[in-house]
Parts: sequence; structure tokens; C-alpha cells
Amino acid sequence: MASSGWYVVSVILFIQLFLARVRGARSYYPLSSGSYNHAKQPLQTFRPYNIAHRGSNGEIPEETVAAYLRAIEEGADFIETDILSSKDGVLICFHDVILDLTTDVGNYTKFANRKRTYEVQGQNITGYFVVDFTIEELKSLRVKQRYPFRDQQYNWKFSIITFEEFISVGLEAERTVGIYPEIKNPVFINQHVKWANGKRFEDIFVETLKKYGYKGSYMSRDWLKQPLFIQSFAPTSLIYISKLTDSPKILLIDDVTMPTQDTNQSYWEITSDSYLQFIRNYVVGIGPWKDTIVPAVNNYLTTPTDLVARAHAHNLQVHPYTYRNENLFLHFDFHQDPYAEYTYWIHKIGVDGLFTDFTGSLHWYQEWTSPVKDVKSADALLRTISGMISAYEEP
Amino acid sequence: MASIWNISVLLLLVFGAANAESNVNQEAKKPIQTFRPYNVAHRGACGEIPEETAAAYHRAIEIGADFIETDILASKDGQLVCFHDVTLDDTTDVKNRTEFSDRKRTYEVQGVNVTGYFVVDFTLEELKSLKVKQRFSFRDQQYNGKYSIITFEEYITIALYADRTVGIYPEIKNPVHINEHVKWTNGKKFEDIFVETLQKYGYKGTYLSESWLKQPVFIQSFAPTSLIYISNKTDSPKVFLIDDVSIPTQDTNQSYAEITSDGYFSYISQYVVGIGPWKDTIVRPQDNYLTTPTDLVARAHAHKLQVHPYTFRNENSYLHFNFHQDPYQEYDYWINQIGVDGLFTDFTGSLHLYQEHTSPYPKDIKTSDDLLRKIEYIISKYERA
Repeated sequence: MASSGWYVVSVILFIQLFLARVRGARSYYPLSSGSYNHAKQPLQTFRPYNIAHRGSNGEIPEETVAAYLRAIEEGADFIETDILSSKDGVLICFHDVILDLTTDVGNYTKFANRKRTYEVQGQNITGYFVVDFTIEELKSLRVKQRYPFRDQQYNWKFSIITFEEFISVGLEAERTVGIYPEIKNPVFINQHVKWANGKRFEDIFVETLKKYGYKGSYMSRDWLKQPLFIQSFAPTSLIYISKLTDSPKILLIDDVTMPTQDTNQSYWEITSDSYLQFIRNYVVGIGPWKDTIVPAVNNYLTTPTDLVARAHAHNLQVHPYTYRNENLFLHFDFHQDPYAEYTYWIHKIGVDGLFTDFTGSLHWYQEWTSPVKDVKSADALLRTISGMISAYEEP
Repeated sequence: MASIWNISVLLLLVFGAANAESNVNQEAKKPIQTFRPYNVAHRGACGEIPEETAAAYHRAIEIGADFIETDILASKDGQLVCFHDVTLDDTTDVKNRTEFSDRKRTYEVQGVNVTGYFVVDFTLEELKSLKVKQRFSFRDQQYNGKYSIITFEEYITIALYADRTVGIYPEIKNPVHINEHVKWTNGKKFEDIFVETLQKYGYKGTYLSESWLKQPVFIQSFAPTSLIYISNKTDSPKVFLIDDVSIPTQDTNQSYAEITSDGYFSYISQYVVGIGPWKDTIVRPQDNYLTTPTDLVARAHAHKLQVHPYTFRNENSYLHFNFHQDPYQEYDYWINQIGVDGLFTDFTGSLHLYQEHTSPYPKDIKTSDDLLRKIEYIISKYERA
């Protein structure tokens, strides 16, 4: 029989087998490999990574357990977080160096005298700084949705969580979910928080990951079991930890006017070919702000720069930030349609991962446009099908 | 011989004249889809381009609309134009025109005093001299001042000249106001001219008839007496629009509760094939969250009435929080949970993409990809563990 004929017949037999199982008839022969029923569904690696930026923060206050659980429910490949430190050196998930914008800290009379002004990345900032509160105090606060145009119904319901709690959420998911923590504001943290034995922020960060078994270079077996990207805007932090862990790292790149906080290098320097060549020794990819890759004028895209092409030429992945559904964040080329934006970045620009506030929307988009890996053999086809139906119940 | 020649020429002229207005061959075109809810481009692709302009309609057709929708009003000299508001203030440059500065008026429209530059106080030539702009400030402003108001006939021509079958969905808009201010000869009224225009271009036939499928049309109005009046003149399908719960009908002063009652549905279904309600009356929101759906759709369907709600918009300010600022989730809810038969959308391209992804034209299986998608579709009917 011609191979395509065999292929079709085996598929038909397989379908009948499945339908027989559903109707309660006896199986004729076992499925190819029963072990997947007990092991976790692996991380997908055939299409760009769906990175839930601060969890599903389009719906639920950022960086809370609820936001991360929701992101996992909606299909995120990675849950992303920003790691800062409390006064007593406990690593927590929180984005801003101050508590003012996303917590109720201003309502507590006992904290009224904690307001400070510090210089952070060359700018004076006034507020209630994370580094001036112990973990117990931080835990007593309640968080709220950052943006007034997003759902406010979960305000004051959730607390700040620790790095370890975040990791647990990732590990306890019933499918393989990666984590994507950021070494955030390390210069500032190391200025204000001291650890015993001369250890610094980056040491504690890596120790925490290792405690939970995170190891292995990109795409290694260890990595695929517990996927991880370590991100930072500070190249020296990434270089420093490269001696401590082989887990893959991503260099974040800020707007064109912002120099690096640790080395004071400009955007143009750290995106030059020679720098990319240098940093490739330490990182597997870059995370730029998307408006620097394709600048916008009058809310219309202009000609793309060659940043992605050059990064790819250096074998660096590109994971831009941040994708948001609200029309005020969408350039007019996309007609207020977030899926049109995903189409552009995935198919025109060709990025390898996307930090999104709306992991559910990206997941729908990807499920519709690239639901299954290209299959080249009948065998691979059957395995894909059995993967698809493993979600269904045996009667 | 000469007389045969004369007769042939005469016959040619007669047939030529009769077909003058619809000499585009509608036979060979890709037919309109009828297997999934209708994608109705509300005022054209007005999310991108100023509403009710030729450009907005061309764009809507380009990005996949099943129907292009419009509102028909009348100029001072009785010409039917595509325009939504009774006043020109919000979407044209009329306020900048010194030659029209004395035209501002205050009229009562549907029980409310409205002040502005009224369409019915301008001749077609004057209307044509104006330039239109994008209504909403948060939408693309780059086409402001580029386009003009078009006539009903120009709009029809756009649909007939599309390279696939595109339906039209014109509204008999504010007929009470129009008939008050504009008079036609021979005692004709707005509705008469409206229907005559459609018939001039060959629009006829009941819903899903052969004639209808060649030139699909829905005639819509908020005024039931207008729809009943024209039912004697055309068998083209009609849709009864229903406003918010607090607004009575402009012609019969009936309340929302009355015109959505079972008794009324029984009655109106003799004249219309469907209703077009405001979607927030079908499923009422509270604190920007949906509450339990009403039974309006179920009852309409029980009376064999289609339901085409308005209006679907991508901007997050229009999306209830259930949809997580994702317009595709809103389409999914209305199409799959509520089960509507058509959707008026400002973003016909987004609805088209949604429908293409989730209910595409059935196609032959040519690759393993197609096969997998077909299998996915088969098993999606079973319940997940």
C-alpha cells in the first residue's frame, strides 16, 4: 500500500480505537507509551514562548498567587516575576522599588514614618521602599490592580508573595510550567540590604533556585523538566551568576535613553554587534522593549530596526516586552486588535518569546494559528494524536 | 430589414436600460456564506476609517465582511444619503464652514431637543462639499478631511461591484424626523424612495431565495410602522431594531417591554425575519461584569426570529471584564454561549479572523496539519477529563 494510504488507515484505526474507548468497548491494543499519563505534559518548544508577564495581571493584581494560577490556567508557558528583597533579606515578588502604587501601605498609621527619598538609577524617588520593610510587614499589606482601567474587584484581597512561594506555584502546576524571575534593581538592593557571610542579592537568588532543583543549560533534560530563564537589566549580575549556575539567562534592554544601572552603558553600546558577541558568552537571549525594535511615530509603526536579525545572527533569542490588549497600548497598524499585534511580531518580526499581560489571548492566538507541531512521520502523527486525546476521560 | 434593425435596437435599448443599474454579473461571484453568524460591518470598517465613507466600505469588504451596513437619511432636496446622526456636527467639518454658519437649528427628535446643523437643512450638493472625520478621538485620525458623504446609490454600487457577493444592510433611519422635514413629489414618503432605490438596483426576494442570495439585503429600522409599510412593497427581509430599555419606539411610542413581549414577537414576525437589539439589554452588565442573560434570544428564536445584536467594538472601554479586554473572547461568548445569528461590529476584520479560526470554510484535507485540525474538531465534542 502507498505510504499515504497506510497513514490514513492507521489514523482511522486509531480514531476508532479512541471512540471505542469512549463508548466503553474493550481496547484492542495499548497506546504507544502509557507513561505520559503520569508524567507532566512537557513544555512546548515548537512555537514562541508565551510568558505571563507578572502573571495574568491584565485580570488580577500583578505578582500574586492568584495571578500566577490564572496564568497557568490560561495556558502560559512561563510565569514571570520581579525579585526584590525585604529589609531582612527575604526575596519577594514585587515590581516597583516602592509600595505606593500597588499596595495599601499609605493606609497604615504605623508605617507613616517610613516614607523616604532614595536615588535609584540616577533618579530621586520618594515613597515607601520595599527594602525598609521586613517580610512580616510586607506580608501584612494588601495589593491592588495597578491600572484603573483594569478589573478592580480583587483589590485588597491578596498579599505579596515570596520567591519560594512563586517557585512552588510553578512546580505544583499539573503540566510543566517554566519560571522567568528577574534579578531586579540589584544595584539598589545590594546598597540597602546585607546578607550574612558577605553574600549578595545574586547569591541568594541563585541559591533559592538551586534549593528547588533548577539547573541545566537551555533545552537540557534537567531544563526541560524545570524550565527557567533568569533575566536582568544588569549585565554584571548575569555575568556574576554565570559561575554559579548554568541555567539560561536573558539580558533585558531598556529604552534607548536609559543606560545600564551597573555599567552605565548606552542602549547603542549594548545592542552593538561586538557587545552581542561578548554577552553571548553569558546569555541565551535578549529582552528588549518592543518600541525600540520597531519604533513608532504618531502611533504608527515605522521601519523595523535590524536588532532581531542581528541578535539571531549571534544565536541570541529575542523576547520583547510588553504586549497588552488595551487599545491605548496598540499602534494603529493593529486596528485595536491585540491578535493583529501578535501576528506581526510572531510572523513578520519572528520573535522567540513574548512577555504579555494577557497570556490567555496569546494562548488562543497560538492555539489557532500553530496548534500542533509539524509532523513529518506517521509515527509522530500518532503520538501527537494520543497527546491530544490524553486530556479526555476513560469511561 | 430596416424595421428588424429598428426593433433590435429598440429591444437592446430597452433591455440595456432595464439592466443599467445592475449590469455587474452577480452570478459568477463567490457566494455569501450562510453557515455561520453574519459578519455585519457596522458603518463600514469604522474602527479604522471614518464611518459610512466609500473607503470604510471598501476596507470592510477587503477584510471579510458578509454585509456592509449603513444608515439612510435624506437631504433637503430629497436625496438619500448614508449618514448616521441627524446633525452634521460630530463627524464633519460643517462647523468650520462660514458659508453654513447660519444653518444651526434646534429641532425635537424623538422627544429630545437637539441643536446642530441638520442633514435635512442641506442640499445634496452642500452635503457633498463637506469633509468627514473619525467620530472617536481614540481611533485613527489620519483620514480626517479626506472623504465625503456618499449617497445610498453610491453605497449600493460599492457592494455590487465587489468581487465576491457582499450583502447590504441599510437602515430606514429616523423616518419620523425625515418625513416631517423632507417632502417628495407625488405624495411619496421616505420609505417609498428607500424601497424604490433598492428595487432600481434589482434587490428582491425573500430571505435565502435565489434572488436574495445573488444580492443579499436586510432592511433595518427602529420604527415598526416603517417596516410594516414597506412590507407591501418589497419581500426583501426586514430586521426590527430595538433600542435601550428606556427608549420607546419613535413612531408608536411603545416600550421596550412591550416590543420584546411574546405577543409582540408573534405579531412582528409576520413582517420581519429578525430583531437587532442593543447587546447590553440581552445580557445586562453590572459594574462592568455580565449578569445572567435574559431569555430574549431564546424567545426570539422560538418565534423564528434571527437575532443580530449591536455593537461589537475592540476597545477595552467597551468590553465587559468577563472578556479580559479581549474582543475575541466577546465574539466567542456571543456566538457560542448566546448563539446569535449575526453581529454588528466596528471591527469586521477581527470578527472575520475569529470566525476563520474557529469555524472556517470546510476544506479538503491536504496535509497532516489539516488532518490534525479535523481530528481536534471531532474530539472537541467530547467532554474533557
